[in-house]
Amino acid sequence: MINFDEEIAKFQPSLEVDQAEEVIHSNDLSDITDIIKTMLKEIKDRN
Amino acid sequence: MICPACNKSIQGKNNRCECCGEDLTVYKKVYMMSNRYYNEGLEKSKVRDLSGAVIILKKSLELNKRNTDARNLLGLIYYEMGESVAALSEWVISKHFQQETNDADRYMELVQANPTRLENLNQTTKRYNAALLSAKQGNEDLAIIQLKKVTNLNPHFVKALQLLALLYMKAGDMEKALKNLTKASKIDVSNTTTLRYLKELNEVTSTSAEDGKAERKEERKVIAEPIAFSHAPYKEDKPNIWPFVNLIIGIAVGILGAMFLILPTVKDNYQSEYSKKINDNSAAVNEWQQKYDSVQKEKESQDTKIDGLNKQIEELKGSQSDDTIYEQLIKTAALYINELQKGSSSQIDYLAVADELAKIQNDKLEQTEAVALYTNIKQAVGSNASAALYEKGHDQYSARKYDDALKNLLSAYELDATNVDAVYFIGRSYHQLGDYDNAKKYYNIVIEKFPDSWRVNDAKQRMTDIQ
Repeated sequence: MINFDEEIAKFQPSLEVDQAEEVIHSNDLSDITDIIKTMLKEIKDRN
Repeated sequence: MICPACNKSIQGKNNRCECCGEDLTVYKKVYMMSNRYYNEGLEKSKVRDLSGAVIILKKSLELNKRNTDARNLLGLIYYEMGESVAALSEWVISKHFQQETNDADRYMELVQANPTRLENLNQTTKRYNAALLSAKQGNEDLAIIQLKKVTNLNPHFVKALQLLALLYMKAGDMEKALKNLTKASKIDVSNTTTLRYLKELNEVTSTSAEDGKAERKEERKVIAEPIAFSHAPYKEDKPNIWPFVNLIIGIAVGILGAMFLILPTVKDNYQSEYSKKINDNSAAVNEWQQKYDSVQKEKESQDTKIDGLNKQIEELKGSQSDDTIYEQLIKTAALYINELQKGSSSQIDYLAVADELAKIQNDKLEQTEAVALYTNIKQAVGSNASAALYEKGHDQYSARKYDDALKNLLSAYELDATNVDAVYFIGRSYHQLGDYDNAKKYYNIVIEKFPDSWRVNDAKQRMTDIQ
């Protein structure tokens, strides 16, 4: 049986146009490539 | 491929960057994995497994944030699910990583080219957020109203459809909940939340309707419908013309309804009002006609009275005139008696008597004695008076006073019809006045009535002169 209040609480507000710029700037765009690059750099630095 | 170390473009299949000498072996494997996830996400999106595609595409971007194809596709999926701002964000980031030949340009232009559409999307989002707040505060009815508007403005807003269905379920309106969940499942066939709500809905309806097996079967069929639809091929979001067509049809139906329902009523009202006015006017006309008839009758009776009074007036006038006539006769007789008392006939003023005699209206004398008296006086005075008048008229004729002469000569002829001289000079007087018709008339009297008179030759001569 669904707990309606819990289900409603799960819903998150949708992004509005005014918030778009903030969302884009705060977006963490780091990917695996960045992590590998950092790791390889650290390895090189150790050597 | 772009070198992660120096961001330079790398051509060919070399495993080392020609610019910075970075070993690209690991990077290439990571990029291949990212592309593989992209392909998988594309396959899922083609069968409308949008939630699954979002998860896979996010994995693809976690491996390679520069995979613009994956990011653009993720934006499209967000847009399809009603998350327009999230979609724009992905396209903006995609544009950041690939400035040229990026499909994100086209997608953003399509959205931003129509400011009204962009504003509608923003309003839809704001209303959804307001509805969500209302729902969290326990105002489910208000939230339902707001969400119905949201889903009307953007029928692809999956989260709004799900929340609306949840609120309907809470309110016990399972049919509406099922309807919204069906819509949501048509957009995103494998959305976990949608499927969970459908399952819950199915359980609730099956337990609450154990005695209605037939109905339950129908419901199961309905619930199964979105799953069957889930295999529908993915299509690009095309401009939906059906709302416009429906609007046109609605307007046409409205106009036809007005023509067939409202217009006859209005027409009947006008006709009844018009008939009432006609009846009122007819009644007024009849009333005026009756008044006119009564006035006409009254006028006729008044005319009759006036005619009677006029007759009485005429009779009174007649009696008065009679008195005047007889008075003149008596006056003439008295004058004649006075003249006779002078003794000598040469002293009698016949002209004075003749003048008074001429004033009597002898044709109106009715009493026999009066007529006899008039005749006696006229015979006694006539020839003498006629001769005297002739003399007077002749003198005036000689003095070229033709009008005055004519009066005395006519009186002389009237007093004595045998006075041929008077007749001749009447003709002469008319002749001199240029009245040739009357001149000829009196010349003819001389010629025809007095053929033995010496005036005949003169009369004939004058007739010849006129002709």
